[in-house]
Amino acid sequence: MALNGSLQGYILVALLLFVIGLATVLLRRTLLMQFMGVELMLNAANVALLAFSRFRGGDATGTVFYLFILGVAACEAAIGLALVIALFRHRQTTDADRADSLKQ
Amino acid sequence: MFLIFALITILGALAMFQQKNVIVAGLCLVLTFFGVAGLFLVLANPVAAALQIIVYSGAIMVLVLFTIMLLNSHEEEPAIKARPIQRWVGALLIAIFGAFAFRIVAGSKALAAVNDKALPVEGMNLNRVGEELFANHLLGFEIIGLLLLAAMVGAVALTKKEL
Repeated sequence: MALNGSLQGYILVALLLFVIGLATVLLRRTLLMQFMGVELMLNAANVALLAFSRFRGGDATGTVFYLFILGVAACEAAIGLALVIALFRHRQTTDADRADSLKQ
Repeated sequence: MFLIFALITILGALAMFQQKNVIVAGLCLVLTFFGVAGLFLVLANPVAAALQIIVYSGAIMVLVLFTIMLLNSHEEEPAIKARPIQRWVGALLIAIFGAFAFRIVAGSKALAAVNDKALPVEGMNLNRVGEELFANHLLGFEIIGLLLLAAMVGAVALTKKEL
């Protein structure tokens, strides 16, 4: 199995990125770190998408969908960070475990 | 080249995952985004590489770092209570997911067959992206514009003290 520059190699890189992002979201408690994990998972999807587009002979549809993902990621960044700031204003914390008043 | 950029990407992501300081973690993530941009260059897609650096490293990560500095929360706060079972079950599930997905990708005959064809590749340029975008995906383009507007209004509404 030759990974250097093959489609399988790119998909494996995307898979590793996704797994690391998932681990960041599930195992870290800081909301900002979890946010970065989400960004990492979105990037993993981008790598897979553009790798498939390249191995279809340079299809432009992959890049168009990459643009859409980019727009959604920008929206997610704005809203997510606004939520973190709003939480900090009420609780003086960015820890996900400390934002649990629905459980009490 | 692929191996260099793949290593930069993966090592940056791992460094981000285990980093205690949130600011340093953000900078590791910027490194990862540069690695991903390099991967896009190797994929004959300079448009996506430029967008990756401008939007991800330039806009989104700067926004995140500004927020970290604004809230002045550089370090992870100590846990209220240790939750060892949840953490180990989470790590175990991630490991199982990763191992199975790795086996599927590495053992896939269809993916390996794509490599052998070696299609002639036309490099991506803005003309082709624009034609494809405005000829076939105009509705998606408009919806993204609306979504960005809604996100902007929402972000202002969420962070403003009194409207």
